[in-house]
Amino acid sequence: MSPELLEIVVWIVKVHVIFLGMVGVAAITTLAERKVSAWMQYRHGPTRVGPQGLLQPLADGVKFIFKESLVPDGANKWMFRFAPALAAGPAMLTVAVIPFGPDVTLFGVTTPFSIVDLDIGLMYILAIGGLSVYGVIVGGWASNSKYSLLGGLRASAQMVSYELSMILAILSVVAISGSLDLREVVMQQKTLGEWNILYQPVAFLLFLIAAFAETNRHPFDFAECEPELVSGFHTEYSAMRFALFALGEYCAMVVMSSVAVALWFGGFSVPFMPEAHWTLGILAFCAKVTCFLFFFLWVRWTLPRFRFDQLMNLGWKVMLPIALVHLFITGAVISFAPQLKSLWNGLVNGAS
Amino acid sequence: MVIVRRKELSLRERLYLPEIARGLSITFRKLFEKPITRQYPEEPLPKNEVTRGQPRLVVKDDGNIACVSCGMCEIACPAYAITIDGGETDRPIEREPKKFEIDMLRCILCGFCEEACPKDAIFMSDELELADYSRAALIYDLEKLKRPKSALQKRIDYVYRLNNRWRKSSSTS
Repeated sequence: MSPELLEIVVWIVKVHVIFLGMVGVAAITTLAERKVSAWMQYRHGPTRVGPQGLLQPLADGVKFIFKESLVPDGANKWMFRFAPALAAGPAMLTVAVIPFGPDVTLFGVTTPFSIVDLDIGLMYILAIGGLSVYGVIVGGWASNSKYSLLGGLRASAQMVSYELSMILAILSVVAISGSLDLREVVMQQKTLGEWNILYQPVAFLLFLIAAFAETNRHPFDFAECEPELVSGFHTEYSAMRFALFALGEYCAMVVMSSVAVALWFGGFSVPFMPEAHWTLGILAFCAKVTCFLFFFLWVRWTLPRFRFDQLMNLGWKVMLPIALVHLFITGAVISFAPQLKSLWNGLVNGAS
Repeated sequence: MVIVRRKELSLRERLYLPEIARGLSITFRKLFEKPITRQYPEEPLPKNEVTRGQPRLVVKDDGNIACVSCGMCEIACPAYAITIDGGETDRPIEREPKKFEIDMLRCILCGFCEEACPKDAIFMSDELELADYSRAALIYDLEKLKRPKSALQKRIDYVYRLNNRWRKSSSTS
């Protein structure tokens, strides 16, 4: 086989493994959501389909496919049909640059375990991830329902306010690692003492809060606020179109978790084993992402929803100033007192 | 008039994060507690002899039912659920039902038939589940109503106890 052909084959295999794995994880997360919520409320959750209800996502999928996909009479038909793809597409596209593992060697071929290694990976994620809100807005607008429209509008307002703090929080990490390439950022965190969470905890907290808002998850899920908006932007959606919105949301959760892991928690580096085998690296990444996904679910079933004005207050009056000041301090330290980092490094590694 | 003043939030509470952590710790602890949901068809409801389920006819130890088709339960039934057609028999009691039907869709599980029966032939069982594919299948005939005495023994004893207490209290008043 010529090297070019081999490259294409490897690439196709990687796309399939990562994309299908992603959708699979999203499906499993829907089951996990129901199970975790049930356990927190002294219930069993789904138990009927398969052992302990493990095949529930499969049953849900079959049901979604066979249900009738309604289009309301007054709706803008083409926009209405297009919106779910617009919501799910960007979330799935962002998976492309996430470094799931180190260099993989299989059948004598060595390749980095991510679909592409963009040197502006973070920028790509922010740019494409920001597009997913259009799906929500278009879906809300095209439904021709007052609830959906309000949901869409809220989603857009929320995205704009939290995207800023999120980008500033990520910029702080980019500033200390000096790269927008996710794999490069991960490579700089080989040991536990080098994890960025030890250097940028405030940025992590800001990112975490913003990530909840960006993925439309509790306590910031105003776009689909059930008591006021009857599920908001997807009130009028049914069957597979509705499922695509849900898939987009869960994929976005996985991407956000992956970004958090890659930027702050050493990505695929295994604690205490800097030279671990690549399988361990992938497992470590999956384990870390699983923890984050659980955290998403955990928060959802603990906190009540904010009020919309509180959400805006938090975004503009608290998160944005803190993020700006934090970025400023980070920049100042890097420019004028770079020895502080090595001092802190010594402290952290001496303690651990 | 009552003036309710909002409690001033402390700095700790206004920071959100410590309180959020507290909430998260509570839900995390609940994660490992045993669910209280009853998995109904697999884990049946707890029943005892006080439960008034569907009425059933007692089959005595000799294999016959005690019913003499007197029609007392038919008259007592407020829902007109019972239909009896009597006939003769060679046994010493001389009469027995040729047809004894209870329309389970009409039965309101009141237990009047049990109270009315002079021959201790009908008792309320602990059977509560009622489901079938047609209305006709839910009109129970003799064969569907028969239950061995051992299956209803607890209820029979309970009814006797209840009646004895009632007699005592009415005689003293």
